[in-house]
Amino acid sequence: MQQTLNQTSRRREFTVADEYQYDRRSPVRWIISHIMRYPLLPVIAIASNILSNASIAYGAVLIGQGFDLINQPGITSADLRSLALQVFIFFAGLGVFGVSGAFAYEFIAQLVERNTREELFISLLGKSQTFHNRQRVGDIMARATNDVQQLNIMINPGIGLIADALFSIIVPIIAIGLLNVQLLLVPILFLIVFFFALRSYAIQLGPISGQLREQFGVMNAGLAEAISGIEVVKAYGQEPSEQDRFLANARRYRDLFVVQGRVQARYLPVLLFGVALGLGFGHALLLFRAGVLTQGDVVAFMGLMFLLLFPTFISLFAFVLVQLGAASAERILSIINTETELDENAAGVSQPMRGELVFENVTFSYGDGSAAPVLRNISFRANAGETVAIVGQTGSGKSTLTRLVNRTYDATAGRVLIDGVDVRDWSLQALRSQISTIEQDIFLFSRTIGENIAFGVPDTTQAQIEQAARDAQADAFIRSFPDGYATMVGERGVTLSGGQRQRLAIARAFLTDPRILILDDSTSAIDSATEDEIQQAMQRILRGRTTLLITHRLSQIRWADRILVIQRGELVAQGTHDELMTSSADYRRIFARYE
Amino acid sequence: MGFVMDGLDAEEYDRSYSDRALIRRITNYFKPHRGRMLLILLMVVLQSAVQTLLPLAIANGINTLAAIPTLTQIGLLTGAVVLIGVLGWVFNYVRQYQSAVAVGDVVLALREDAFDAVMQRDMSFYDKYQSGKIVSRVTSDTQDFSNVVTLTINLASELLVVVAVLVVLFAINPTLALITMLVLPGFAIAALVFRKAARWATRRAQRMTAQLNATVREAISGIGVAKSFRQESAIYDDFMDVNKLTFRVKLQQGLVFGTIFPALDIVAAIGAGVVVYFGGLQVLGGAATAGTWYLFLRSLQMFYLPITSIASFWSQFQQGLAASERVFALIDAESNVIQTANEPVDHLHGAISFRRVDFAYTPDVPVLRDFSLEIPAGQKLAVVGHTGAGKSSLIKLITRFYEFQGGTILIDGRDLRRLDLSQYRPQIGLVPQSPFLFSGTVADNIRYGRPTASDAEVEAAARTIGGAWLDDLPEGLQTDVGERGARLSLGQRQLVALARVLLQNPCVFILDEATASIDPFTEAQIQDGLDVVMQGRTSIVIAHRLSTVRNADRIIVMQAGTIIEEGTHDTLLLQGGHYAELYTTYFRHQSIEYIEQVGAWSS
Repeated sequence: MQQTLNQTSRRREFTVADEYQYDRRSPVRWIISHIMRYPLLPVIAIASNILSNASIAYGAVLIGQGFDLINQPGITSADLRSLALQVFIFFAGLGVFGVSGAFAYEFIAQLVERNTREELFISLLGKSQTFHNRQRVGDIMARATNDVQQLNIMINPGIGLIADALFSIIVPIIAIGLLNVQLLLVPILFLIVFFFALRSYAIQLGPISGQLREQFGVMNAGLAEAISGIEVVKAYGQEPSEQDRFLANARRYRDLFVVQGRVQARYLPVLLFGVALGLGFGHALLLFRAGVLTQGDVVAFMGLMFLLLFPTFISLFAFVLVQLGAASAERILSIINTETELDENAAGVSQPMRGELVFENVTFSYGDGSAAPVLRNISFRANAGETVAIVGQTGSGKSTLTRLVNRTYDATAGRVLIDGVDVRDWSLQALRSQISTIEQDIFLFSRTIGENIAFGVPDTTQAQIEQAARDAQADAFIRSFPDGYATMVGERGVTLSGGQRQRLAIARAFLTDPRILILDDSTSAIDSATEDEIQQAMQRILRGRTTLLITHRLSQIRWADRILVIQRGELVAQGTHDELMTSSADYRRIFARYE
Repeated sequence: MGFVMDGLDAEEYDRSYSDRALIRRITNYFKPHRGRMLLILLMVVLQSAVQTLLPLAIANGINTLAAIPTLTQIGLLTGAVVLIGVLGWVFNYVRQYQSAVAVGDVVLALREDAFDAVMQRDMSFYDKYQSGKIVSRVTSDTQDFSNVVTLTINLASELLVVVAVLVVLFAINPTLALITMLVLPGFAIAALVFRKAARWATRRAQRMTAQLNATVREAISGIGVAKSFRQESAIYDDFMDVNKLTFRVKLQQGLVFGTIFPALDIVAAIGAGVVVYFGGLQVLGGAATAGTWYLFLRSLQMFYLPITSIASFWSQFQQGLAASERVFALIDAESNVIQTANEPVDHLHGAISFRRVDFAYTPDVPVLRDFSLEIPAGQKLAVVGHTGAGKSSLIKLITRFYEFQGGTILIDGRDLRRLDLSQYRPQIGLVPQSPFLFSGTVADNIRYGRPTASDAEVEAAARTIGGAWLDDLPEGLQTDVGERGARLSLGQRQLVALARVLLQNPCVFILDEATASIDPFTEAQIQDGLDVVMQGRTSIVIAHRLSTVRNADRIIVMQAGTIIEEGTHDTLLLQGGHYAELYTTYFRHQSIEYIEQVGAWSS
């Protein structure tokens, strides 16, 4: 196992050479460290924002100068031509630096998206199996796709717009100040009031928009449910009550929509800008009258005032994007920073397993142990090579029980022993490499069938793969595909039935040859021929290894060396079939209809 | 504000309504709000007028600077500009608020119509369309529909400003106005060229994102397996390839998008240079005042956005029309199930006759042909046969979820087509393969068909089918079943559905038995529950369990839409015909003989 010596020195199971180190102490620092990985890009971006705004502001000043120029005697069309050319150049500067700015932000955004996804993925690969067994795939998926994309959007357009808006306030204000300090009076007042108006608008709009989105979700979910259950709705003649429910939701949505419309229509900054424009104009005229300003200064001032219109409109939209991005960053970072709770125990017992398994008064509850126990005081023993069938209702704790064996979870009280040694005293690597699990949902990679069987067993020959497939009763159906063992599985290839996937997993287990096998077999065969094949494959894989078998198959239960009957987390009966038929009424009931 | 980017991902839809027909129907929805729409229109006109006045007022002010302006003049000008700002805001407020009310009401009305339409469709409609698509027609498409209207209002208001400004410019100085107008096509061309490039880049990026998501999904789902075999680097390499490719494609798209506004800025810069030069010449020659010069320069800024929004209008408008077409198609679709009368239905005995019935989902592929079957009241009938034999069609016709094309179906001797369905259907108790539960408690679901049932009645129904299952639920009857019953196992959902049927007390019970496996304890409870529910009712079961066929009064074997054998389990097995073959194929492994035989293999 590779160890890395980075600042956080986290225990990891997978690393990449010369991986870049980001600052993971807080979401903000983390995002900044991502952006600053390419220091040149933010410099170009900010410089572009400044230059493009300076360019357009100077263009406005130039136009003002034109008005003064025209009043001077002896002006020629050549002078005008050179003025027009300058105006064009500086106005075009807005476009030119606009491009360099847009490109810089775009590069940053896409690089951050790519690097974040890579960082997250490496971190996921580095997490223990325990972490992955506990985590919901959908949850991680959402973070690797939506949240990562949200970071991209936060930077471009989000941060890009905010920076641009910021400089399109600062630069014109400086230009106005240079024109004449007194002219600053109105725009500064405007900006102060504007700031508060924007804040109060955001405070008003935020909750309403949230409610509106939520109500849309409620309406959508309600309708989706009614439509998915339409057969029941119709069968019970409940159409009118479903209609009442939907209409109530749609009405609530409409009311919120109107409230939002009113808040948006009332957007005060626009009114403030209109007033500021008038007052500023008046102020400029007064200053002209006092002889402080020229006609050209007034024109330039008005041109600069109009530049403030852009931030008036854009700021709020951009702030929302940044807020959403920050929330996404927090979610991604929380996954990256999650520690694996289990200790690898590399110095623990590392020896070939015989496969004797003992549960001693095992109690288990999720979390810190204060929750209601999922398993209570379970004790049983399986000798090496025995098959133990676990039966019980869905949710009674069968799967949880098997997960204590390979230490996906650790018992809250009591002990699990393999070959007389507490599982917590085994080296985790030695323990897990000798225990295999075949889950209920079998995951196959988008690779060939042969590669899927040999996955994780390097240097397997084709002959070994085929032998394993024959033992697992999978050879015949594999050969029925045109490409045989080279047939692709998954999205670009064939779709396999549950029974076929199960037999591929069994074939894989033949190659890995574990001492202890945990088999969650809750599939059912529709036809008897398939059932025959599954039965035969199972018989072979069970032989010579200790097996915990979660199954609905009466034939497997009937012939297991030992049967555990689990009810609501308790072991209510155990023994062989014959013993249970006399001792357990519940167990007898299962077979009642077969006599 | 017209965004050039909007509507880029518009798809092309098969359209069967003409634009004109759609627009007429959309207009009809707005008719009840005629007054409000007129008010909005008035506001749009006033707003445009005010927007045109603003540069005029400022230009006028610039002209006063030829001399020293009086304080009165300054006061008036200041007042005028402030007033314009305030009025513009007020007009806009009224317009936006009234639009929100009108759109909110119209969308509500449309949603109501769409929902009613959905509820009236027969089940063949739900086979054809995914439920997610139906939902989005009722909720999202209705919203997009209103976009057609707001888009049109916005475009009208923006164009009105352009026209008004142009009129003013031509009135003041036609020569300069003509020169200024030369820039307009520049904006339009830049916007259109850009849209073409952007559409191409967007398509590529969308495809890429879909592929990336698929790879990420596989990589993440596979981490557990990869880890147990220490194959992390293999999936890491796969992932990195796609991640890098996505980066390149999305970057390309981003760069295309990044150039549009700068490109428009450069067009505007050309315009500014041109107007500075020619305007200046006019002022110099005395043909124009400084104010006019200013007015032309300012107007140029006002053309910018409206012209670009024209570029994106058409595709957004088409998108809106396509959305409204989807909604109207939903509303207009005819139900295939047609009742010829609405006769009241009191208590039924449950005798069912199929008389020479023809049935097909699609016209050319008959499922039942000349099908006849008499089911006396109270009989337990099991239906068996290979997939596609037409077993489930029987259920679909008895529940009247689908229309049949020939023959008659009689219930207690009465024509099924003449019955009031809202009274008939509650007398048929149906339990499908995977019963649907609504979010809520177990009790809510048992009570679904009879909302007035008391807690005691609900409990009694649940206990009657064998109460042990209730004790296994964490909170008994008050257990939350989760979305679509996801917190219960399939077996538990079936038990809830059985209790629901029992409370409903129908005269006919129909069961499509699950093929999926259920843990043996729950399975035993279901079997006990079924015994209770079938007691004293006509029962029709599409059977997958050996115990069910054994207990049936009568078994019919179906093949290609006809009955090829019938009898009881024992007599049919003795015959050694089709049923015997089906038994070997589907039921043999459920027998005790098989279970015993497996033991022999292992030794």
